[in-house]
Amino acid sequence: MNERIVLGVVGLAALAAIVLPLPIYILYVGNLLLTYAVLAIGLDVLLGMTGQFAFAHIAFYGIGVYTAGIVGNRIGLSFPIPLLAGAVLAAAVAFAIAIPALRLHNIYLALTTFAFASAAQWVFRSWDSLTGGVNGLRLASTPLLGWHVVDDRDAYPVLLAVAVLMILLRLGLQRSKLGRSMAAVREAEPVALTSGIDVRRVKIAAFTISGFFAGAAGGMLPLFQSYVHPDSFGLETLVFALTIVVVGGLGSLGGILVGVIVMGLLPEILREAAVFRELIYGAILILSVTLMPRGIGGLIIRRGE
Amino acid sequence: MSALLELTGLEIRFGGLRAVAGLDLSVAPGAVHALIGPNGAGKSTVLNAISRFVTPAAGAMRFGGESLLSSRPHQVAQRGIGRSFQNIELCGQLSALDNVLIGMSTHIAERNPFWPSPARLRNERRERDEAMRVLGRVGLGEFADRPARQLDFGRQKLLDLARALACRPRLLLLDEPAAGLRASEIRMLDALLVDLVRRDGLAILLVEHVMPLVMSIAERITVLNFGEKIAEGKPEEIRRDPRVIEAYLGRGVDASD
Repeated sequence: MNERIVLGVVGLAALAAIVLPLPIYILYVGNLLLTYAVLAIGLDVLLGMTGQFAFAHIAFYGIGVYTAGIVGNRIGLSFPIPLLAGAVLAAAVAFAIAIPALRLHNIYLALTTFAFASAAQWVFRSWDSLTGGVNGLRLASTPLLGWHVVDDRDAYPVLLAVAVLMILLRLGLQRSKLGRSMAAVREAEPVALTSGIDVRRVKIAAFTISGFFAGAAGGMLPLFQSYVHPDSFGLETLVFALTIVVVGGLGSLGGILVGVIVMGLLPEILREAAVFRELIYGAILILSVTLMPRGIGGLIIRRGE
Repeated sequence: MSALLELTGLEIRFGGLRAVAGLDLSVAPGAVHALIGPNGAGKSTVLNAISRFVTPAAGAMRFGGESLLSSRPHQVAQRGIGRSFQNIELCGQLSALDNVLIGMSTHIAERNPFWPSPARLRNERRERDEAMRVLGRVGLGEFADRPARQLDFGRQKLLDLARALACRPRLLLLDEPAAGLRASEIRMLDALLVDLVRRDGLAILLVEHVMPLVMSIAERITVLNFGEKIAEGKPEEIRRDPRVIEAYLGRGVDASD
């Protein structure tokens, strides 16, 4: 156990040390990947670990960005307060809508939560005085212990630390009784119920934790982005996050991290071929669903068996 | 002795259909009570009512003297009722051991998963040991780490039973535990159920079509037909009851099946 902790710390330090001197563009992409990782892991808490097809995730991501951005802009509080504010508010909203939403199942749950996400995007677009509306919101640089996170090079180690903390949180969740109850709800609800698991409470907890991750991912953006627009919290981003989780493998942390790297790098590689981007996304999604229905994670597990 | 489980005037409706009509049934502590009848007679519906998956239109259900109607489905296990399923319900991707640990949910506390404190590790070891004992009891000890979906049919049935046993119940609801099992597996199940009753003092409400098992372990049998009780008594009485033979055994399923 202790050896693994030491190895992990050394590995992370090495990762930071190797990446930091690279060109600023690479660091920007690294920052994006770290944000996507937290976003996708959070979506997977609900979709993969608990088996609930709810699509409000993108709204919680938006709540995280706008909350962190507004707290940062107007109050100028130091990191990590804006990020935490975004994550906590997103979790609170997730908790509030989980109570009515989780009475629904399958397609009804998917539709209702998607409707909520659309409504949230409308709020981001329309509440001019708070979110800047369709003009978007400028994000001030984040202060951190009397120093300012100005560019991607400053932000990278901070975001790396946030992502690692969130991954540890995800690992702890998997090991906990709640994590096992979530798996039971996903695999067989009647079994969970007759085993004494309060299925509704488990679903609400999963929804809230998932919202916390999405809000934290949103709260990571102001550290390296200077501008945010409501268009970033629509169907396209939701499909992108879903693709990461499905290509990576529902419920598989390792698979999802690989999925983040593959899907996160694609738009950057395809920058020159923007016309084909949607086409290539579609092809990847179809190929991965038909050739590896359990995603990259499924391949890893099959090797291990 | 007062009944452990007591159903009185139980009536269950699905829309216009009366699935169970005025059923009286009581299970004494440590007794095996079989509920038999043709397909669609309402047997599983009775179990679903006790599990609180369906709410009766009328009647009372008492367990240990207190009404079950005030319990939500997940509280039924906490009160000491374990249940297996007719169509195997398992957490297929999880190991056999994890399935049993899920069955133990009612007596596993939520604890901090981030810090490997000695107390946490000790408790986790104790829980694993108990789950292993339950698996061993149904003869699945060597399959503890196998994903449930990789087990063969008979072993999946036994795992379902182990999961139901893991909540340390006083009453087991078993929905066709012998269906699809081979003769050798049924003999083993028979011995196991007898052992659970004699050694652990468990009561069992058994829904089953496999008559040799029913006749071998049930002290009382209730026969349902179209939701109504048509007979109740000791196995030898039921075997001779003309209405039962007419409704059930007479139709190609005889007692020596």
